[in-house]
Amino acid sequence: MDEVLAVSGLSAGYRGRAVVRGIDLSLRRGDILGLLGANGSGKSTLIRAITGQIPLLSGSVTVDGVDLAAAPERAKARFGLAIEPHELPAPLSGRQYIELVASIRGCAPNDLPSADLPGGDLLERLELGRWMDRPIAEYSLGTRAKVAIFAALLGWPPLLIFDETLNGLDPVAAWEVKRAITALCASGRHAVIVSTQVVEAVPALCNRAVLMADGSLSRSWDAAQLAEAGGAPGAFEASVMQALRMHAAA
Amino acid sequence: MRHDGLFLILLWRELVLGLRAMRRRDLAWIGLGGGALLAYAIADIVLALHAAAPKLRDDELLWTLGLPLTLAVLGALTGNAVARLCLERAFAPFLKALPLAPGQRRRMAGRATLAIFAPLGVLVAVLVGFACAVIGKPLPAAWGVGAAVLFALGFGTAALWRLRRPRLLLDEAAGEAAPVGRPWLGRLDRARPRWLSSWAWKLPGGHLRPSWKLAAASLMLAVAAILGAWASLAGGTAGPAAVAGLAGGILVFMLSLRCQPVGSPVLRTAPIGFTRVWLRLVQLPLQLSLAFFLLPAGAALAAEPSAWAVPVAGGLWLLVLNGAYAVFGAYFLNAPFVAMLSFASALAYAGYETLEYGRTVLIGLAALVFFLWHRTRQRYRNG
Repeated sequence: MDEVLAVSGLSAGYRGRAVVRGIDLSLRRGDILGLLGANGSGKSTLIRAITGQIPLLSGSVTVDGVDLAAAPERAKARFGLAIEPHELPAPLSGRQYIELVASIRGCAPNDLPSADLPGGDLLERLELGRWMDRPIAEYSLGTRAKVAIFAALLGWPPLLIFDETLNGLDPVAAWEVKRAITALCASGRHAVIVSTQVVEAVPALCNRAVLMADGSLSRSWDAAQLAEAGGAPGAFEASVMQALRMHAAA
Repeated sequence: MRHDGLFLILLWRELVLGLRAMRRRDLAWIGLGGGALLAYAIADIVLALHAAAPKLRDDELLWTLGLPLTLAVLGALTGNAVARLCLERAFAPFLKALPLAPGQRRRMAGRATLAIFAPLGVLVAVLVGFACAVIGKPLPAAWGVGAAVLFALGFGTAALWRLRRPRLLLDEAAGEAAPVGRPWLGRLDRARPRWLSSWAWKLPGGHLRPSWKLAAASLMLAVAAILGAWASLAGGTAGPAAVAGLAGGILVFMLSLRCQPVGSPVLRTAPIGFTRVWLRLVQLPLQLSLAFFLLPAGAALAAEPSAWAVPVAGGLWLLVLNGAYAVFGAYFLNAPFVAMLSFASALAYAGYETLEYGRTVLIGLAALVFFLWHRTRQRYRNG
């Protein structure tokens, strides 16, 4: 199956109040989707709904052919979410957390999509080795993000989701993670959603992008549009700002 | 790490992390002081049991109703608390997006609850068996086992009830731990009215919004004050109203004091000293407490004008107790329930020891309050 994620007519929110409405989204293997939007636009709520963390008010989510509402555990096994760094269990060490996620996913703690990843050991390339046996409580924001990303890759999930996880990374780690994302999607076995506030990073990393505003998708860019916007410095940011202004005016 | 025993490991690591976060000097004080206090308490209890052995041995009501009921209730409270601890970890934010079925989470929480019960059950059996041996009750081992069974019944019933009713499987409050069951103690810790602490700073959040809960609480307190006053006026004695005023006044103060702002970096980095912050936080609860006290105290005075010293002493004690609780509240700034429990325990223990050693014990209580004040001020200044 080529389609990894199918979101149809999705509405979701908190305590019965819809925060995101009428979302239709489809992701195929090889896609890297940049999810953009201002603070409070609904990016994190959309990701929470897609990953089964909040109930849907309407619509459906299908992950790699498995309906999230009908078989939540089977659907959850088909994506890897790099959780927000502050949600990591502070009392556990990085190694324990990785082993725990591997145990729940039913795979080995080193069961990474190595064949699709460039270079050597990801643990060493992210410079995580010396931190792995210390409690997560002692980690910096960036180190937490690295552990969350590493855990998301366990078990070769076809869909990878990074919810603003790349924002806290140092330049070397950010480059390594972007290289890994590109390589994973180039293999044609994975699709990635990258939610980010770093607008200028999107044309270089993603082959699709959507902009959220007031809980709905207000604009999308395909690969050709992204390539064109990425050609000139600041062109994509200008395009995003224009879309936001148009939405505000409407 | 296998995830089967996850919650036990999490609880254990949380405990270790909490201990590691404490200063070694504080840990040593707690270890030495707590150990000495425990040894003293055990010796005191053994002596008291020994002295009352003949009466205790043949007290039918105690062995047929009092002890079983106490053990069952204690077991139920413990089972409820332990199951809730485990369930909270079962629905922790970092596990939400992982493929674990709700049933599996509950089973894991159940296994962890059972594992925590085992040492508690043994402890209950040993304590009751030991107490029976001290007072010379026949078959102390059998009594110990019986006590553990009763404790287990209470524990198991409450734990099963809690584990079968995880009210929310999905967290609707972003970034917060999933609330499980009816966390009324947790609710108390995050209790409204939050406006009380905001009031001190004249913030917009400080405006009082009427609610049914507030109306119900006010009504209950008003009824208590009126009943106390009525009892005094009807009986022509100052006692009942003075006691109602003192008890209600301290209750109003405890329920309305919120000291979370003491831990806020906004205040800690602002040019304002700890004492001023503390006094501003205490100001409104103190006014509410005294306002409550006035009606019963007035009734006490009207009922028995010659006993004017009773309501006056009640008012002074109210001030002293409010001041002492305000220190406990500031020390346990994020957990008003723990503050209330600690304060009540300290008062109860001081009261018990006063029976034996007289009022000099109150010096120890005052020293404890002063120590907590000192530590809270240090924490405010230096983190």
